[in-house]
Amino acid sequence: MATNNGAQFNRHPEPTFSSDQLVFTSDEKSAMQGYLEMYPEPEGAIMRGLWLAQEKFGFLPPEVIRLVADELGIPYARAYGVATFYTQYFKQKKGTYVLDVCTCFSCQVCGGYDILHYLEDKLGIKAGETSEDGLFTIQEAECLGACGSAPMLQITNGRYVHNLTESKVDSLVSDLKDGKMPAFESVTLPQDETEMGGNRRDDVESLEYYKTPPVAETFE
Amino acid sequence: MEVAKQGTSKAGNWRDYERVLLPKVKNLHKLEVYEENGGYQALKAVLTEEKWTPKAVTDEVKASGLRGRGGAGFNAGLKWSFMPPVDDKPRYLCCNGDESEPGTFKDRQLLEYNPHLVIEGILIACYAMSITTCYLYIRGEFADWITHIEHELEKAYAKGYVGKNIMGTGFSTDVVIHKGAGAYICGEETSLMNSLEGKRAYPRIKPPFPAQKGCWNYPTTINNVETLACAPLIINKGAEWYSAIGAPTHPGPVLYGISGHVNRPGVYEFPTGMLITDLINEVAGGMRGGKKLKAVIPGGSSTPPLRADMIDGVTMDADSLRTAGSMMGTGGMLVLDETVDMVTWLKRVSHFYHHESCGQCTPCREGTGWLEDIVGRIDRGEGNVRDLDLLADLCTQMEGRTVCALADAAAWPVRYTIERFRDEFVAKCKPTLTPAGSPLTVDA
Ligand SMILES: Cc1cc2nc3c(=O)[nH]c(=O)nc-3n(C[C@H](O)[C@H](O)[C@H](O)COP(=O)(O)O)c2cc1C
Ligand code: SF4
Ligand code: FES
Repeated sequence: MATNNGAQFNRHPEPTFSSDQLVFTSDEKSAMQGYLEMYPEPEGAIMRGLWLAQEKFGFLPPEVIRLVADELGIPYARAYGVATFYTQYFKQKKGTYVLDVCTCFSCQVCGGYDILHYLEDKLGIKAGETSEDGLFTIQEAECLGACGSAPMLQITNGRYVHNLTESKVDSLVSDLKDGKMPAFESVTLPQDETEMGGNRRDDVESLEYYKTPPVAETFE
Repeated sequence: MEVAKQGTSKAGNWRDYERVLLPKVKNLHKLEVYEENGGYQALKAVLTEEKWTPKAVTDEVKASGLRGRGGAGFNAGLKWSFMPPVDDKPRYLCCNGDESEPGTFKDRQLLEYNPHLVIEGILIACYAMSITTCYLYIRGEFADWITHIEHELEKAYAKGYVGKNIMGTGFSTDVVIHKGAGAYICGEETSLMNSLEGKRAYPRIKPPFPAQKGCWNYPTTINNVETLACAPLIINKGAEWYSAIGAPTHPGPVLYGISGHVNRPGVYEFPTGMLITDLINEVAGGMRGGKKLKAVIPGGSSTPPLRADMIDGVTMDADSLRTAGSMMGTGGMLVLDETVDMVTWLKRVSHFYHHESCGQCTPCREGTGWLEDIVGRIDRGEGNVRDLDLLADLCTQMEGRTVCALADAAAWPVRYTIERFRDEFVAKCKPTLTPAGSPLTVDA
């Protein structure tokens, strides 16, 4: 039972989710079966399984990790070890929108910290904190692989927002407050700008990441 | 420190260069468009033409001189030839799309704009090594791009380019996309394998090397995304064509990811062997705001920075960069102007390595923490000049003494930034009045 896991590991005495909530839908179960088929051993499916669970529950408390492990038929300790290894798996509840501002290698010299501090002032919280309304968490991120469009940030492990300015941050925050996720932005190559008018893709709007919202509506 | 002028560009007539990794074709990422532009013809050739035995494909890639684009620059065909003879046991290919080396952002552009070239390259490599499963490992942050590639991969499956009985030839290979979850270390080849296996992603001790014991202990080869994307080009146009592009000892087209204080940052495709000065002044539109160049980090955060006065005549290939005192790495070049405080900059770089150390080896786990702390102390004006020697000492104790190269990658920027920008560090230190180690030492 989920309740015991928390106590046993003494990391989460009070489970966040009740046993009624701790169920996967039949679609989710078949997705899990699909993950199992992708690897010769069931353990390979852990990461995909945890991703699915995090998209559903918003974060991964022990009872959710247990649920994933049971669904995949692997030891809980193994799944727990993996869940705690990676930064993108949230061990604590975070805001609906987690803003990962890159302040690493290139971003730090291109205004990454200016953007971070501007956001901190704007939302009245420091990096690592969540706003009182539960809407925003700000985090300082390591290189996100978009250094050519520094400074940049990522929203809740999903969308990238490139070439940030203060006014871009303003409209981003107000859009997110309205529940509007910014559209996918295809970073044009400078050579494409010269040779093709920057005109490489005409289908970016078809990209959709969140199959389920960042925090499932069912629990709100 | 005087560095002799090494010479001129090895990139030939680069101003007229026609791109091949990211050619000038609109919507090339779509399977239909890729097919119209000769896509999957190299795969078809190797699967149907008599002359393309698996060994012949490997030999062709070896002869092309293609060197890995993931950082280490190892000859790709040679690596393929390390796979043991085929038996009835599974064998794997891993395509490394972890792209987490700070300053590197080229694989993402390649995966977005020309995913089928990567997939075709994967399939050719699988054929050459008789592999029936490839894991394409993509860092979890690239969620949007994972969706995008999954979509295109599905189309390739539907068209019979991937999966069972490819193009009716009896050859079968699956491509599985594995989504990471945020850990730099997963880019290290053996860590990536543990990550795939659903373990904590600790790097493994080598030997055994992946070709002997890789994924699930079976023979495995691992290559970077851009490396594999070169395979179809080599098959289509020949090893000779490929090896004639750019620097003779490090040939081919390459994606330069230029970031920092230039007017037009971004990913550029050019031959290897470009002059750094051409890349900055011409290709990337020169220094932003007309400021003066201070430093160039040529190939990602792990490669030693070059001072502005060290880059004259230096070209972007392994030999030239080694002579100059750095490395090609991933080709992700950071350009820093005169406004940058190298001490503060290094502090943030050291923080990265401390954060990303997996903690398995003591010299790395403790060392990266010390590097960050001591550089931070100097940055706050609380360090002593003798701390600079302490840092050099620490680097020596980390280099080459750990399971993987992360410890070296953390030590190099510290060692060489201090060596090459010593004045800046000294200026931030409190002077030491008596020799270090003396009982009379007092700090001013
Ligand atoms: C700490 C560390 C991180 C690495 N990260 C990456 C990476 O993100 N992408 C990559 O392709 N190679 C990375 N590498 C290099 C890989 O271990 C491996 O050499 C490479 O993927 C081999 O491909 P190639 O021969 O085609 O370059 C990393 C190495 C180390 C030591
Ligand atoms: S060198 Fe560092 S990152 Fe590599 S295995 Fe050792 S502790 Fe882990
Ligand atoms: S340094 Fe910010 S994305 Fe690479």
